Amino acid sequence: MGETKKLTNVNAMPAPTWSWLKMNAAEVEVPAGLAPARDAVSVEPAPGSENVVTGNVEAFDTEMVAASKRYAARSRAAAPGDAAERAKLAAGELDTMDVPALSAYQRGAVRAEEELSAAEAFLTGCGREAYAYLRGLSGKPSVIDVPGGVRAAVTVRVDGRPGAAAAASLDVVVRANATLDLTLALDGAADPDAVAGVVGFAARVFAARGARVNVASVQTADDAFLVIDDMGVFADEGARVEVSHTVLGAGRSYTGLAADLRGDASRIDVDTSYLGAREQLHDFNYQIRHLGKRTVSNMDANGVLTGTSSKILRGTIDLMHGAKGAEGAERETVLLANDGVENKTVPVILCDEDDVAGNHGATIGHVRPEQLFYLGSRGLSEAQAEALFVSAKLEDAALSAPDERIRASVVRLGEAIVPDFEEELA
Amino acid sequence: MTDTTAAAPLLELRGVTAAADEKTILHGIDLAVTAGETHVLMGPNGAGKSTMGHVIMGDPTYTVQSGSISFDGRDITELTPDKRSRAGLFLSFQAPVEIPGVPLSSFLRAEIAGRPGLEMKGKEFRRRVKELAGQLDMDTAYLNRELGVGFSGGEKKKVEMLQLLLLQPKLAILDETDSGLDVDALGVVSRGIDAYKKATDGTLVIITHNTRILEHLHVDRVHVMVAGRIVKEGGADLIPWIDEHGFESFEQVAGHGAAADPQAVAASQGE
Repeated sequence: MGETKKLTNVNAMPAPTWSWLKMNAAEVEVPAGLAPARDAVSVEPAPGSENVVTGNVEAFDTEMVAASKRYAARSRAAAPGDAAERAKLAAGELDTMDVPALSAYQRGAVRAEEELSAAEAFLTGCGREAYAYLRGLSGKPSVIDVPGGVRAAVTVRVDGRPGAAAAASLDVVVRANATLDLTLALDGAADPDAVAGVVGFAARVFAARGARVNVASVQTADDAFLVIDDMGVFADEGARVEVSHTVLGAGRSYTGLAADLRGDASRIDVDTSYLGAREQLHDFNYQIRHLGKRTVSNMDANGVLTGTSSKILRGTIDLMHGAKGAEGAERETVLLANDGVENKTVPVILCDEDDVAGNHGATIGHVRPEQLFYLGSRGLSEAQAEALFVSAKLEDAALSAPDERIRASVVRLGEAIVPDFEEELA
Repeated sequence: MTDTTAAAPLLELRGVTAAADEKTILHGIDLAVTAGETHVLMGPNGAGKSTMGHVIMGDPTYTVQSGSISFDGRDITELTPDKRSRAGLFLSFQAPVEIPGVPLSSFLRAEIAGRPGLEMKGKEFRRRVKELAGQLDMDTAYLNRELGVGFSGGEKKKVEMLQLLLLQPKLAILDETDSGLDVDALGVVSRGIDAYKKATDGTLVIITHNTRILEHLHVDRVHVMVAGRIVKEGGADLIPWIDEHGFESFEQVAGHGAAADPQAVAASQGE
């Protein structure tokens, strides 16, 4: 057995808050002695989409380099603490007292805006360490390259096994005015007392001008698994990206998404649905950088927490310099069905531009006494009421599952909680 | 007058005094309802009628300070609401709550789960629920919607009636099920009540302001509640009398603490 591996700075917030809140980032212990399982991954193009799965491993980087050149001219207007001032400072033309001090986040933002190319500034939501770990597990990434104007659909499955570590990694290029529907099934069946396993996914997505990318990720692993679902998106002009994360399983799950809305009028919509049960931990990190003008982002999360599960959701909308007319919004609704749950939500809106709009809202609700009485008056004990919230979430996931295999995985989770779960589904 | 002493009552409250936040709302309520009967509980706003319904159902908002409640031969004073429901009690809410995230159909299934004689397999359940929805002029699309969320007042009441018909309780307390409904919805509720009586020969306690819903029901007993006390009991003839005279005279009597019976007083005055 090898040593336990520790991944640090996973799902880190770009602008840290008080460290004693223990929200800034996660430290992930990866179980020791896992066997690699590359055959647990399958990349399945839909009929007619076979040719979009290619061996062109350069595709993503080539597009990012080209984008870096296109967007290089966009430099920041002179502002206190900018690169020009810091150059003067270095040359001794200015005194440190003349230049405003910047926070760690501000230094990073200034670097991203002024010094780094689009390619260098590219991020994934879980962060570099987790991304490198997943890439190490998967080996050479699979490449999906959708030619201009074409519509394609691909399903990626990672079918975890106890005692094994399996991850898929993808480089995705969706060229001008093309559309990709990407379905992601992260699964792993294991008895409750099985040895641990890892299921992972790492993707870099380039959405070219006018492209549409729809990603539906459904995670249905049993509690023996650690799941890391990591993605970064670059959106060029007018590109539109929709991501849905349905997180129903895994003893510990880390879901990260970073988006660079660099092209004007590009847009991302994120829909997160989660269920926490037993002692599960779900950790989410969303970081949307608005760099282009009139860019739009929406993040919607909806969850149910039961048992002694815990959840942390960090959602950062970063309205960076130059993003005139940009709008970002994030909302979360969570139902706490048990007093034993731990729920943390950190909506962050950062703003370095006029004429932008950022909104956030969270509805965090315990099951109210009158709701419990109503359910009780119809014969449901508190435990049965809690089970109802869980099964309702799973039913919804089963009914909206992207395909039959994913539906079957949701049903497997449901059967473990509700007898005759499948039969009860319409 | 019906002789309620012959058979043991299905539901009996003996000297029930109940409070919320240490404020006493019900004062020494005695009530006996025999199986198969229809009782009507009337009274002005704030009299404690709804509170009585909730106390019978075991709402933890209220504390029973003294007295006892028995149902179907057992003392239920200390039972939790779910156990009362499973014993055969039902309370239709005046304002049914919303439960976001829970589809109506899932909720209905959870209600019947584990109830002897009522539990149904998926297909049979769906057929039964659709049949009941049809009976109540309810769009079956509601079954897939989140419980109560975005439902109109009338739709919420229909959902209550649907549950009454699905659960077929031994005794149902209908708390202002008719309030705020238009004529069509009122007709649907009346049909629901008829269907319940027909299917189960069930027992009803109807809390209402509106005597219209009682028009074609055979009412066995009427109880008038004022300021947390039952101040008058009588037969169905009390309903038209209240329709004409309202509750004012009862309130005056309750206010003065006098024992005079306003109906009797009014009758002796030739009204």
